[in-house]
Amino acid sequence: MEAETLQQGKAGIPGEAKKVLKQIEARKARYRRKLIVSFSMLILFMTATLVVLGLDFKFMLKWLPFILEGGGYTLLVASLAITLACFLAVIGALGRLSKNPVLNSIATAYVSLIRGTPLLVQVYMWYLALPQIGKSLEELGITGVQRLLTLPAVPAGILALGVCYGAYMTETVRAGIQSIKIGQTEAAKALGMTNTQTMKRVIFPQALMVIIPPVSNDFIAMIKDSSLVSLMGVWELSYRAIKIGRRYFQSLEMLILVALIYWVMCALLQLVQEKIETYMARGDRRT
Amino acid sequence: MEKSRAMIKITNIHKVFNTTHHVLCGIDLEVNKGETVVIIGASGSGKSTLLRCINFLEEPTAGTVEVDGTRIVAGGAEKERENKIIEIRKKTGMCFQAFNLFPHMTALENIIEGPVTVLGQEKKKAILYADELLEWVGLTEKRNEYPSRLSGGQQQRVAIARSLAMKPKIMLFDEPTSALDPELVGEVVEVMERLARDGMTIIAVTHEMHFARDVADRVMIMDEGNWIETGSPDEIFNHPKKLQTQKFLAHIL
Repeated sequence: MEAETLQQGKAGIPGEAKKVLKQIEARKARYRRKLIVSFSMLILFMTATLVVLGLDFKFMLKWLPFILEGGGYTLLVASLAITLACFLAVIGALGRLSKNPVLNSIATAYVSLIRGTPLLVQVYMWYLALPQIGKSLEELGITGVQRLLTLPAVPAGILALGVCYGAYMTETVRAGIQSIKIGQTEAAKALGMTNTQTMKRVIFPQALMVIIPPVSNDFIAMIKDSSLVSLMGVWELSYRAIKIGRRYFQSLEMLILVALIYWVMCALLQLVQEKIETYMARGDRRT
Repeated sequence: MEKSRAMIKITNIHKVFNTTHHVLCGIDLEVNKGETVVIIGASGSGKSTLLRCINFLEEPTAGTVEVDGTRIVAGGAEKERENKIIEIRKKTGMCFQAFNLFPHMTALENIIEGPVTVLGQEKKKAILYADELLEWVGLTEKRNEYPSRLSGGQQQRVAIARSLAMKPKIMLFDEPTSALDPELVGEVVEVMERLARDGMTIIAVTHEMHFARDVADRVMIMDEGNWIETGSPDEIFNHPKKLQTQKFLAHIL
């Protein structure tokens, strides 16, 4: 009875309740303050460490533009590979859920094979082994393939990363689709929707909300894994940093610099993720 | 004069789950245009399964389903049959126990989804009719709310409007009030009553005995996949013939 009047506020909130509410508010504010302070302290401590270590900031600043130029490759490789991965993930997930035995086995084999082999081996496979396959095919009488299968470093890197992440994301998308309650499918079907319409209009938009956090995880990992294209001699971020660091024996400066650049890129991506999540959750009670 | 032909004609439906679990054992059911049929029975008796066999959310193992002239025999798998199933679903509205509104769409978007996506209607036209339906179920002011912000009763009324937007010839209700708080049951039953009075053909599986008594033209009692007794509400509630019926009624009333 008392709780009800409190909630409805007819009799007004009594003084002692107001006091408790104020205490809760103060506790929250205190927590926020402490959070900001400890975060700033952390940054301060890290910067101080760098200064104590005697980092050559001038040197870092001098080479910053050169290193940043490599960021173009990183962004190019990562963004195209992400696009390819998303595409493969949706197709792969539909294949994994398909009742067609051919599609289903292809998707299952894809996920198993790619997830079961190191990305490093896959990168070399696209770059070094594919031309050899082209050669063998050529010898079998299929002309013109060798040139097609001899990929420059950047496309090989994009394909390797895209195909690899597509396999991991296939499982994420599949799990997302399967997490949607059967009642949603039934309601869509009862309206007369086809399988495709049900997937497109009802299941996928809801699955998207579930898979955005894990997919963002993959995006962030991909940004960093794009440094693998340096193995093929592409002058991207980390490659440049390591080269310069070694040449002048100032690896610490260069590595810290490149790490910071990666960090900023990933932090920006995380911001975008949060925005998308807020939008996706518009029908959700929690917001 | 249109000759009075059955809107729904179900013949000798069997449903077997997991190769051994025989849920429906040769059910026949004929429902005429404008008729309201209420199916009652103990839980697990096969009522919901029967309802779901009508629009093929559940595939009957054997038998024939005919809805408004579209006839499907169980067991086939040809392409034409898929189209027929969709044909039947377009003519059949269904309300679920758990409402199953699309949570990423507002009330209005839920209602226009069928007409726009399935019937290819123009959005503007669909919205006009959706607003009429929202008014009819008394939820005009909730037009732009997401389902998570609606009470159970409001959600179920939106779900009814969503079905009606397809201009169905038959409405199937699968325990529409079982998931509702007691004080919210009335608003949903009231909408169902109005629908029945407006001449909709209705098959309802429900525990709402008031609805069965006051609105139904026919009450059918099911047990273990068979009809136990069927008749007018008066016959079933006031003069049940079978002992099983009497026992069941004594249990629920």
